[in-house]
Amino acid sequence: MLLRLPCLLALMVGAMPVAATELRLVAPGLAYCDELSARFARLPAARQEVARDLAEEGSQLCHDGHVRTGVAKLRRALRAAQPRQN
Amino acid sequence: MPHRRQQHPGPLWRLLSSAGFRFATLFAALFLAAGLGFAGVLWWGTAGTLERQTDSAIRADAQALAERWREAGTDAVIEAIGERLALDADGQALYLLLDPRGQRLAGNLVSLPPGAGEGPAESWHHLTLEHEDEAPGEARLYLLELPGGATLAVGREVSEKQRLRALLTEGLAWAAGAALLFAVLGAWLMRRALERRLTPAVATAALIAGGDLSPRVPLSAHDDEFDRLGASMNTMLDRIAHLMDGVRGVSDAIAHDLRTPIARARNGLEEALLSEDEDPAALRGAIERGIADLDNVTRVFQAVLRIAEVEAGARRAAFAPLDLALLLADAAELYGASAEARGQTLHTGWTAPLNLTGDRDLLLQVVANLLDNAVKFTPPGGNITLSAARDHDQLIIRVADEGPGLTLADRERVGERFFRADQARTTPGSGLGLSLVRAVVQLHGGVLWFENGDGPPDFPGLVVLFRLPAAAAPAV
Repeated sequence: MLLRLPCLLALMVGAMPVAATELRLVAPGLAYCDELSARFARLPAARQEVARDLAEEGSQLCHDGHVRTGVAKLRRALRAAQPRQN
Repeated sequence: MPHRRQQHPGPLWRLLSSAGFRFATLFAALFLAAGLGFAGVLWWGTAGTLERQTDSAIRADAQALAERWREAGTDAVIEAIGERLALDADGQALYLLLDPRGQRLAGNLVSLPPGAGEGPAESWHHLTLEHEDEAPGEARLYLLELPGGATLAVGREVSEKQRLRALLTEGLAWAAGAALLFAVLGAWLMRRALERRLTPAVATAALIAGGDLSPRVPLSAHDDEFDRLGASMNTMLDRIAHLMDGVRGVSDAIAHDLRTPIARARNGLEEALLSEDEDPAALRGAIERGIADLDNVTRVFQAVLRIAEVEAGARRAAFAPLDLALLLADAAELYGASAEARGQTLHTGWTAPLNLTGDRDLLLQVVANLLDNAVKFTPPGGNITLSAARDHDQLIIRVADEGPGLTLADRERVGERFFRADQARTTPGSGLGLSLVRAVVQLHGGVLWFENGDGPPDFPGLVVLFRLPAAAAPAV
């Protein structure tokens, strides 16, 4: 009986998927920031109003060298500007 | 020769070898099994559900993109991937679209997993994602080969879910460890409790094994299984002590009762040997008296042996259907003459037939012993009654005399071998007659009891009754 518990725990741990392959993500650059800004600009003006500040802030961060943070804000702005789906 | 297992004195060995530990281990095993079952269900319902939901969302997304590929071509899928990535505020979406030559067309993954294109058209991969300024994360990736040879990869980063799963695993491991700890603690407590409860019985048994039969197991107020065990042991010890007293009493009685006839025979023979009277008739008379005395001794031994035989149930094989009415008539005829010789009257009364299954010789001996006692103790001119009746499926036999009767205390002891009531000391007898009666009645599954007769309080007479199981009346 005492041997059963470690065996079960080992089974549980063994059953977890093992991350064997490592992959890298494409590093977002200033060009991607501009692409996101252009995508935001193509939205209807009424939708842009909802997240304009956020998009501008993201674009500014990108140009200030904080690309990752800027991309994140631009994405949040794009999502916020999307029409709500019920 | 008693076999005793070697004792290991170590406390760990004593814990492991104790019954309490085994019981506790069994309960712990059940507890752990139930806990693991519960954990399995919990796992399936939380981490498993999250994984299944993620896989389902990935597959649906990939199928939607593949559909778009078929309907609108490569550019539409590139635009769709760009749109999806642009709206992925959480940064968890993974996409990669490769043309048939392996050139990257869209997506945020640098490349496919090694060997991904060599497998089947659809495959799942578990990945570690490298981030520039964060710790590596876990991801699920679904690869789909599109018509024309292009490859689409859709995935999600699942680090949050992995962390939740790790938390669950850790919690379950801690719970299992705690259960194990409680199992060991419970085993130790249960073993100690069992040992404490069994110690009085063990100590008493050890004292008795040492030769002292007087100790008894002390009982607690719990009235639990251990107290019932102790009470059973005490009852058994009382019975053993009673039997040993009986054996001792029989031994004393045999020594006492046989000493007189043996000494008398010896003295008579010695006197004849030393006598100067050479009259052959006198010598012959002395030898005959000696033989008669020794015959009495033999009879006593035979009676003791017969009672032992009856009590052991050895005569049960000789049981046969019989009519008790005929047996009572024989006994009445035999003892009617004796009673008449002493001026007594033997009254009889029963309704034939009185069928039962039993040993005829033993039952005749029973009735004869009772009538013999009745004749012996009833004064001349008195009445003796022998009667029997059927009471449902029982036969009740009754022998009543007008003798001195038996006190309540004597009635308790009257089945003991060689017991003789004070009033019977002056009459001939060995004290074995009623012992045989009781043994034979019990052998037949019956009950023996005594009642007072109708006489005055100081000389009430005795009514001996016994009940025997009747056989079913034969079909007419």
